[in-house]
Amino acid sequence: MDTQALYALRDVAGVPSHPVIFMILHVLTFALHIAAVHVALGASALTIWGALSKDKYRRRLAQSMLPVSKFMISFAVFLGVAPLLFVQVTYDPFWYTSNVLSAWWVIGFIGILTVAALLNMFFVVKNHHMATQKTVCPGAMILSTVLLLVVGFIMHTLTNQMLSPEKWMEWYVPNGVVDTSGRTLHDFNLPRYLFHISLSVPVTGALLVGYSRYLQPRLGDEKHNISPEFLIWVGALGHRLILVGGVVAVVLGAWWMNALPEKVAEFATSIWPALSLVWLLLFLAFAQWVKAGRMDSSWAYGVLGFGAVALIVMAISREMLRWHILEGVHGYNPLDYAINMDWYSTITFFVTFLFIGGTVMVYIASVAWNAGQSQGVYTPGPVIDRIGTAAIWLSILWVVHFFVVGFYVWMR
Amino acid sequence: MDLLGLYPIWYEPGVGSGWVVGIMSTIHVLFSHTSVGAAVFFMALATIAYRQNRPELLEFVKRYGLFLLVFSYILGSITGPGIWYSTTVASPRGISALIHSFVWKWATEWVFFMIEVVGVYAVVYLVGKIDQRTHLKLTVILGIASYTTMLIILGILSFMMWPGKAEWFTDGGYLAGFYGSNTFAQLAMRTAFMFTITAVVGSIVTGGFKDMAFRKQMNRWLAFIGIAGTVSGALLFQWYLNTLPEQAHLVMQNRLPEWFETSLIGILGAILVYFLVMLFTPRLVTSAVASVATVALLVFGLWPEEVARESIRKPYVAGQYVYSNQIIARDVPGMGIKSEMPLIEEHGLLKTQVFMPEHLRTVNAGNALEVGEMLAKTMCSNCHSLSPTGIRPMENYFQGPADIASIKRYLKAGISTGNTLYMPRIPLQEDEAEALAVFLASLIATEEKDEPAVALATTEATPEEKL
Repeated sequence: MDTQALYALRDVAGVPSHPVIFMILHVLTFALHIAAVHVALGASALTIWGALSKDKYRRRLAQSMLPVSKFMISFAVFLGVAPLLFVQVTYDPFWYTSNVLSAWWVIGFIGILTVAALLNMFFVVKNHHMATQKTVCPGAMILSTVLLLVVGFIMHTLTNQMLSPEKWMEWYVPNGVVDTSGRTLHDFNLPRYLFHISLSVPVTGALLVGYSRYLQPRLGDEKHNISPEFLIWVGALGHRLILVGGVVAVVLGAWWMNALPEKVAEFATSIWPALSLVWLLLFLAFAQWVKAGRMDSSWAYGVLGFGAVALIVMAISREMLRWHILEGVHGYNPLDYAINMDWYSTITFFVTFLFIGGTVMVYIASVAWNAGQSQGVYTPGPVIDRIGTAAIWLSILWVVHFFVVGFYVWMR
Repeated sequence: MDLLGLYPIWYEPGVGSGWVVGIMSTIHVLFSHTSVGAAVFFMALATIAYRQNRPELLEFVKRYGLFLLVFSYILGSITGPGIWYSTTVASPRGISALIHSFVWKWATEWVFFMIEVVGVYAVVYLVGKIDQRTHLKLTVILGIASYTTMLIILGILSFMMWPGKAEWFTDGGYLAGFYGSNTFAQLAMRTAFMFTITAVVGSIVTGGFKDMAFRKQMNRWLAFIGIAGTVSGALLFQWYLNTLPEQAHLVMQNRLPEWFETSLIGILGAILVYFLVMLFTPRLVTSAVASVATVALLVFGLWPEEVARESIRKPYVAGQYVYSNQIIARDVPGMGIKSEMPLIEEHGLLKTQVFMPEHLRTVNAGNALEVGEMLAKTMCSNCHSLSPTGIRPMENYFQGPADIASIKRYLKAGISTGNTLYMPRIPLQEDEAEALAVFLASLIATEEKDEPAVALATTEATPEEKL
């Protein structure tokens, strides 16, 4: 597929802001999405580990991880909407072609994800007290987790197929006969897929370190079996996962880079994989530093922060690899997309995201965080309460603005 | 020579790609309208619970909320992107047109969607763990965020039908595309019917209540909002019809089946009867009965509505400039959009399409059938199944016996010129029309076990009376 053909596939309407903005948002929201995926997978795995065990700590941890897996499947879905949106803006020729060529798998993705989420919910409903009661139907949770890995594989393949325009016609017209069935997943990259999945181990480890710190104010909560020994055990487990998972991810990352196609083999020695490696190692080192006597301090939450930055750097490197292939090899530059600047909708998004999204999420997160650390009914202090009031008024203001602008445009 | 940037085609012979989108959309409408309506209803209930100190109402919020976590916030959250996925593979340039005009609006909706999902978990799981005033605030935030998602998506849905203002066709621009009379009429109508759906689905939850007095009270409230939603929705539907362009009315008169109006009145009447049963004999409304009512609403109410909405914007799929076969059919100078018709008229479809195999770019005696099939798949199969099943099967539109010359004559006179209501204009070259006719004749012949050689029943350009 030559460059002219790739450009011909672009949407004729152009884009409403500079493409680099969409690319940055794509990277950031992908990092958020993949973090939720990692936690969903890790929490599901820990739930299964506890569900199949008689060890009281494992079962207690499974009881906590079960709702985390449920929330994180939901969060992964809604956080995934954003990168799915932005990839269509700047990489539409590649995304749409890859999807159509494997259309049934795209539809299957929805069906399989639905079954996975329902199985997870079924297991949640049947196992409210895992710490003290026998596990009911662990197969549901196991199958749910396997299906999550399958949908991850489908998404990986669709993303991977984007990067090989030179093979598209071969996939569409195999042996000279047009195949419009969309029944084939054409091209996957095992080390790349395994690398992304493996990151769920250290990310989940970071979550456990934060979890053991978060529950310290509730030490002695007998109703919920929160003992010092349990929290120490969880923290140690978290550190083991960070170390082992981190090393495994480095090995798989090296395999991925080593297996890059010849056309982009030099990317493996560029600054981007090196940056990812450095941040991953910094993350491991910071976690070790926290482990050495700082688990009771707020530094424990910093492990999550370092992990988040490492994921963002990894997402940037992933994007640079895509750029390297599509611009470097195929001559497609997403930054020269025609711009039909639309200031109103651009500003509306950023104002909504920063002011309404920011205020509301700070409010909900503060209430949920404090309620989770409290025994009994939690009543917010005046500062958090005022943030809640502001969140409501800002939301109302947004709705009013929608109608004022709308009626003006309609009537003019 | 410029190229025609059509994507590969996904042809699904069983139900047709159009119906895959339709099924996904219909299911999503049920889930999403329920979640928005319920969030607004929760807002009212939480306010009453707080002001009148009635914590039992929060118990209803919690139970309906838990139900919604599966019903709307798992299934609805997945089928939402599911619509994107299904349209991506069925109509990539259609969804791309919407994305590229409204990406920021969708991104803004995503912010409210994020608040909605996080908010519903907070509202459901923090009942009893935070004070009532804080819980009320969370419920208000959830209600507003939820309704805002509807405000935003409605403008995009209206644009699919027709850009809000006529000036969009020259100047383009987000505001002129998003806002128009149809936007507000559709918003008002859907707001009303969303309460209808919320009430029917809510009765699944109340059907499980053991406390008959509480069940009766909640059923009564749900029935009231359901009746109000249904009656006002029926009235607002008239407003919505009045905002539709003339072309849509023409299509409705000529294309929608005769039973459509009767079916619509029938389902509205049945729903009103159901609400009366909820009101006066709540004991009869068990969760099982309510589930049947919900499925009936989905099949007999939402499915025909979605099919009609899809039909009346034909031959376009988005913004009256992207044809259902993905061709850009209109200039929009303000956005630099140029019609692809001149390119196709000059060079044809075979020479210009990006994903046309080289051996099919020129028609000859040996490949005419194969070329015709490829043209039928790329130009027709989005709306017409090439098999006996699925969406508007092609063979139903021709009465055999098959005659290549007559079919070709019709293609040149009725399709290439754009003279057929509801159908896109496809300026076929002579050899392309011949190849397509060969393939269509083979379809009819296959059906009739006949050779494709004799006369086509409708020879002159207007088979629409049979459409």
